[in-house]
Amino acid sequence: MVKLRIGHPEDPDYQERLEEFEARIARGEKIEPGDWMPAEYRRQLIRMISQHAHSEVVGMHPEGAWILRAPSFRRKLILLAKVQDEAGHGQYLYHAAETLGVTREEMLEALLSGRAKYSNIFNYPTLTWADVGIIGWLVDGMAIKNQTMLAQSSYGPYSRAMVRICAEETFHHKQGKEAVLLYAKGSRKQRQMVQDALNRWWWPTLMMAGPHDTDSPHTPLLLRWGIKTKTNDQIRQEFLNEHVPELLDAGLEIPDPHLRYDEKTGNWIHGPIPWDEFWKVIGGEGPMNRHRLETRRRVHEEGRWVREALEAYGRRRLAQAAD
Amino acid sequence: MDTEWPRWEVIKQDVPTAPLQMVGSVHAADPEHALLVARHVFVRRPSAYALFVAPAEAFFMVTQEALREGGWEWEAPLHPEKPYQVYRKATHRRSMTYGELVGKVTAQSPVDAVKKALLELPGPFLALWVVPEEALFGAGESPEVRESWFEPAKAKVYRLQSYYGLVGRHPKEVKRG
Repeated sequence: MVKLRIGHPEDPDYQERLEEFEARIARGEKIEPGDWMPAEYRRQLIRMISQHAHSEVVGMHPEGAWILRAPSFRRKLILLAKVQDEAGHGQYLYHAAETLGVTREEMLEALLSGRAKYSNIFNYPTLTWADVGIIGWLVDGMAIKNQTMLAQSSYGPYSRAMVRICAEETFHHKQGKEAVLLYAKGSRKQRQMVQDALNRWWWPTLMMAGPHDTDSPHTPLLLRWGIKTKTNDQIRQEFLNEHVPELLDAGLEIPDPHLRYDEKTGNWIHGPIPWDEFWKVIGGEGPMNRHRLETRRRVHEEGRWVREALEAYGRRRLAQAAD
Repeated sequence: MDTEWPRWEVIKQDVPTAPLQMVGSVHAADPEHALLVARHVFVRRPSAYALFVAPAEAFFMVTQEALREGGWEWEAPLHPEKPYQVYRKATHRRSMTYGELVGKVTAQSPVDAVKKALLELPGPFLALWVVPEEALFGAGESPEVRESWFEPAKAKVYRLQSYYGLVGRHPKEVKRG
């Protein structure tokens, strides 16, 4: 058990404590549960960490759909391991949020009722096996950029979950890249399939980094408190600089006619991102929003008897032990 | 509302020479269940030598800041002396674990255990957890259990980044596409 110490702006010592708190973060210290923190710091963390946890959990669905249809036993083992990892990552993250005094039940309730968000990328369907490769290489590639940044986060438990996740996630990225490069060098049909997957996932992947910095109201505070250590546009740029040359080298075409290399900065510059679609999908109008939530609700209901039975069994054992 | 199983802190030892480390927590109905879930969540990869769980409420945690400022002591009934394990976080460096076992004290309450740990065990303590040893349930004491619980993960090399080696050319080589 740990006693949380939350500061509110109306507290008489708030300003003074806030300065000490910000100085600690500036020195690179980690904030631990039980250390003084502003209520807003806690609120932002719970929002971000639970959203992140939900993304891991919902993220199991698009890929899980392909476990039974994997083209070989090796690919099936890899995909099974990957989907299991996502479940584990959800657990690490729910735990990190729990250290802030929110319960997992409350977080799941927020997800199932549709109040909580999860990464928009999982509201797109996985139409062919090539999507599994593209998700591994690009979607996980973008996720890793974000997670590596969050591993530096000022909140100890969030940072620790991220370090653990990054260590495991690198295999997801590599297996995806391996699969995509293989198809890119494969038969005409395989090349078409992987190009089609790239066409569909490219823009949603770029949108994963979040709105442009100018449209991201939380960013300055999140940076000041070290919850995030890079902005959305920085993450997106890092992703582009790493992946664009590799995709082109593989002979794939990137579906952005304005994409260009900037000699001066050494950056790959993307064309206008279709944000209308982003806001539409976030608002629930994406191709899979309803399906994902319905599936989550259904599996939650179908698992209810297991949760209740195990709880009854555990309670009885405790009672017997007490006799 | 729904059922939420109790929360259990998970303690893992990677190899016989490594310290026990607090790695996170799981929800489960009883200790055996907690150990099984802990194995699925925290031992999907090599390597583990031992795994323990204890009810989350059995842990008492204080940070250096709380220790300095006071107000962390709570009135707990004293009981006959019993052994407590003490875990500490010693640096702000990047880590994937919470606390590391630093020693044991004999104490009459969690607060008493914290006070003794500060006197008897090596610091610094940026954060400190104490847990009565009797609250821990373990797997891995016997070679049979170790083999069936922890060895299979070692054969699953496709979970490792190194299994894929260097795929394609390095980004630097293909910078301009």
